[in-house]
Amino acid sequence: MFDYCRACRLMVTCGDTTRCSKGSAETNHTQFNDVKPVLPRAMASVSEMYDVTWEEMRDKLRKWREDNHRNSEQIVDVGEELINEHASKLGDDIWIIYEQVMIAALDCSRDDLAWTCLQELKRQFPGSQRVKRLAGMRLEALEKYEDASKQYDSILQDDPTNTAARKRKISILKAQGKSAEAIRELNEYLEQFVGDQEAWHELSELYINEHDYGKAAFCLEELMMTNPHNHLYCEQYAEVKYTQGGLENLELSRKYFAQALKLNNRNMRALFGLYMSASHIAACPKVNATVKKANVKYAAWATNQINRAYQLAGRGTKENKCSVKAVEEMLESMQITMS
Amino acid sequence: MSIKLTTQAYCKMLLHAAKYPHCAVNGLLVAEKQKEKKKDSHSTPILCVDCIPLFHGTLALAPMLEVALTLIDTWCKENKYVIAGYYQANERTKDFRPNQFAEKVGARIAENFSEAAMIMVDSTRFTMGCYEPILTIYDHHENKWKCRDCNADCFEDWCEAQKITSALLEGRSYESLIDFDNHLDDLRNDWTNPEINKSVLHLC
Repeated sequence: MFDYCRACRLMVTCGDTTRCSKGSAETNHTQFNDVKPVLPRAMASVSEMYDVTWEEMRDKLRKWREDNHRNSEQIVDVGEELINEHASKLGDDIWIIYEQVMIAALDCSRDDLAWTCLQELKRQFPGSQRVKRLAGMRLEALEKYEDASKQYDSILQDDPTNTAARKRKISILKAQGKSAEAIRELNEYLEQFVGDQEAWHELSELYINEHDYGKAAFCLEELMMTNPHNHLYCEQYAEVKYTQGGLENLELSRKYFAQALKLNNRNMRALFGLYMSASHIAACPKVNATVKKANVKYAAWATNQINRAYQLAGRGTKENKCSVKAVEEMLESMQITMS
Repeated sequence: MSIKLTTQAYCKMLLHAAKYPHCAVNGLLVAEKQKEKKKDSHSTPILCVDCIPLFHGTLALAPMLEVALTLIDTWCKENKYVIAGYYQANERTKDFRPNQFAEKVGARIAENFSEAAMIMVDSTRFTMGCYEPILTIYDHHENKWKCRDCNADCFEDWCEAQKITSALLEGRSYESLIDFDNHLDDLRNDWTNPEINKSVLHLC
């Protein structure tokens, strides 16, 4: 029989006397024999396991909400406990927490929890479009797409400008694998709501999955125009151009990888991308000597930066030294093919 | 011609899929390099000893994939491994057939290793209990990918694989799994996953 140690979460067999890395030097792994028997769902509570107060749990939920994290299992763990044990202390925050936990519960197939949250919200906000949308999402999670679609249609009847309902309808098409239709609907949506960045990004992903890199690039161009300081859009645009291939696109990709680095010099993807694009351009037989020389220089600079970044990261850890070595060797071997 | 999977390889594949249930995921399988080419080498199955999770989310972009393939190839050479396969789990649960991208990557790997396999994960049969293998294995024959049924024979020890994978899923070990995307976000993240390898060994 085996169980996981509550401290370090390594699986250990019963009676294991090896030392636990998380506890003090004198402790063995905390095995289930040491812990009081608990009811199936319960486990040790979040506040007990991580030694946090309910305020810290509430703040964590807020941070995840603001950063739009999709760590649904954690949200369910923390949120469920907060709702069950500390509802009275949360004040008006509880409603937005119900919404957040409900969506996370749908992600984890916890329909029981999702239903509870939905009922509370329905009771507090009867007739609300926002709650109607959550009911629709629950139907989507249960794969009742027709019913979900009807739910969203009823929202749109009352309020044709409700963007959330329109986007959920497009998500249904995506879930059903109807990519061409989803793309068409999303394009129509964007003609009306040109500023919706989330939608432009979704559209670029849909195009990438269809291997329509030209149109994906167009979507990312829109995003870069409205968010010139966002290094992630720059870097993704560069990746799309690189994937499109051809000398012109490679040069463009190199420029945008460089731009992404200027905006954030710790973006490793941009650094690697700069290295790869410059190396490929230099190795291309069509380029003249000046261009080749310049790109060899860019690639050499990137190599330097990459090695430095790995040295910095590998400091102190024995395991990471293998990564450092592997990167150095990889860069060296590519240099040889380039020249 | 056929490949077999060790517990560690199967485990990490499933943990990767479990960590990102809402995304497509992909990765590589590595096998130990054969010392000599025997005449009847096609009768001994290739044993995939480890799995390197690569990306999650948008898979179909080239530059990071090239970096990963080159870097992992270098690492393989140092450790006397060879890249022997590619796995992918699609974003939609019901979508378990290989797409154009999977075939391309598979073909690229097959260029360097003729007996390369492409593996698709069937998420519809993915359970915590892991009662049956949920993979479909494709072999490369004359530029086409042919499907092969995956049963207990495709594993070094299916009982062990089933038990250990299920235990790690229950223990939520996938929260600490590192893929190449995580490594690019923070270089200190180790894509060889030594901690999970230790857990697997612990349970064997």
